[in-house]
Amino acid sequence: MSAAAPTAAAGRRGGRAALPVGIVLLVLLPLILMPLAAIFVFAFRGGAADFFKVLSSKEAQFALRFSLLIAFATAAVNAVLGTYTAYVLSRYRFRGERPLGILVNLPVAIPTVVVGTSLLLLWGPIGLLGRALEPFGLQPMFAPAGVLLAHLFVTFPYMLGAVKPVLDEIEGTYEEAAYTIGANRWQTFRWVILPALKGGLFSGVLLTFAHSLGEFGATVLVSGNLRLRTQTAPLYIFAQFEAGNIAAANAVAAVLATLSFVIFFFLLRFTARRGR
Amino acid sequence: MDSFRPRRRGLVPALFLVALLLYAAWPWLPFSRAAATPPTIVFYGFSILADVFQEGIFPAFQRRWAAEGHGPVEFVSSFGGSGTVTSQVILGVPAQVVLLSLESDAERLADAGTIGRDSWKRLPQSGVVNLTPFVILVRSGNPLGIRDFLDLTRPGVRIVHPDPMTSGGANWAIIAEYGSGARATPGGPAAGEAILAGVWKNVVAQAASARAARTQFENGFGDALITYEQEAIYDRGRGRLHADVVYPQRTILSEHTLVVVDRNIRPRERPLIDRFVQYLWSDEAQRIFVKFGFRGATEGLNAANPAFGRIADPFRISDFGGWREARREIVDRIWKQRVMNQDAGR
Repeated sequence: MSAAAPTAAAGRRGGRAALPVGIVLLVLLPLILMPLAAIFVFAFRGGAADFFKVLSSKEAQFALRFSLLIAFATAAVNAVLGTYTAYVLSRYRFRGERPLGILVNLPVAIPTVVVGTSLLLLWGPIGLLGRALEPFGLQPMFAPAGVLLAHLFVTFPYMLGAVKPVLDEIEGTYEEAAYTIGANRWQTFRWVILPALKGGLFSGVLLTFAHSLGEFGATVLVSGNLRLRTQTAPLYIFAQFEAGNIAAANAVAAVLATLSFVIFFFLLRFTARRGR
Repeated sequence: MDSFRPRRRGLVPALFLVALLLYAAWPWLPFSRAAATPPTIVFYGFSILADVFQEGIFPAFQRRWAAEGHGPVEFVSSFGGSGTVTSQVILGVPAQVVLLSLESDAERLADAGTIGRDSWKRLPQSGVVNLTPFVILVRSGNPLGIRDFLDLTRPGVRIVHPDPMTSGGANWAIIAEYGSGARATPGGPAAGEAILAGVWKNVVAQAASARAARTQFENGFGDALITYEQEAIYDRGRGRLHADVVYPQRTILSEHTLVVVDRNIRPRERPLIDRFVQYLWSDEAQRIFVKFGFRGATEGLNAANPAFGRIADPFRISDFGGWREARREIVDRIWKQRVMNQDAGR
């Protein structure tokens, strides 16, 4: 992608782009490009056979699958929840609308470690909600449910941020027209708003998915870090790195980086198409 | 034209996502599920135990359990700094058997009501599964000529040390540093505190666990690392040790305490857990520990590993009145209040 853009620009502007593009590449090299390359270099240092061997270990496979499932679930739940919240915030006027609008965006600004501790203190065995669930034998923390809760919280603003601006821009006249021909709220939403929202939804879902895939700070606290049970891919990477198994850590990291690349590739292609 | 183009373009991402979902969910799909899941033991351990348990103890116990006429058994495990593990167990992780670096973490669990008071003392050897002395790792060839803890107090020696807030090994290291001075002649508490203060003035990096500290050291940080002898022996055995081991004249033998978390064990799991706990003190398990560089709970088997170094004056936590006393006096009063504050004032 980054290689294609400068050549296209250079073609249009007659080569004058060479200098600025060169400067950008020079600056980005140690900041972003070399660290990214290092992941792959260290992942493959033991050869491709070693790479696939560590990747096919039970723990690595579980961590990747578990991370993906959590990311799918997070994206699905927040797609519905985020869209509905955006719809309510955009279409209804009520007291406390503004504070609520700010509050729901806060999760991106709060340190994820704080999210983890507050979830533990709320849902854990000593927490308010945790104690209420205890008699039913439910214990969300240190279980997949806890990881999902943490990811829902941390990624909530991404869906909202992708959908709400689109909703705000859709002209009220179409909806009014729908109402005048007898459509109810749901029909209006389904046939008038949703089609216009497709782009926002798509990018919101991908952003949520990608962030969930890489979430670490809150997950490490609420998951209990149990191999083959609650260890996500980033936790696996951290554990392996701490234990000095740099090849194993980087093999999984390389897979995550590749996945993120593909996701953002789709995302950019999609937004570029919409912009046209 | 435009009406179907986006649909076709969206096909690739859609197929990609479906493939991804299929891959992720595969083991849980009804037709791919294997036979009924075997019983599991949830084991938590402090950081340096990962290798010996995953490669040694777990497979050996699985064979033993099967040989005794039972079915398969699976282990679910997590390894981290002893203090981190302790906090997790208090907060409610489903740990059933926990091997802690130091008894003081077991006492924390008892104080929190997670396990019965002194319940580990009813286990064999008062719950101590294995031991290892604290040594100093230095760069190959020992360029700074470090021979003992006292040499670590010289200005300019950069020390990587685990963090006593989360690491059991760090607490052992503090006792080792203090004890090396306090037990010398002439020595006494003042000499112990002087070494402690000198060492901590030189600490340049703190890691959450002994394992993490070793990774930092391996990646080139610092001139010296204070750590478990087991780590050095195990690494040397695999040709991965790129450092020299310095045996101090006086150092502590860390004793690692096992606790059983009764509240996470269902009655039908009891026989399996009890058998596993017992197994850890069997000759077979103790031999595995010795093979991986730990010293056995009893002296008997230690001759089997020629890599163990000789220490002139090894001491134990009981020489300082046990962990409760040592924690109050050495870790909290001397290290935390005096050494660390004096450091901050500088």
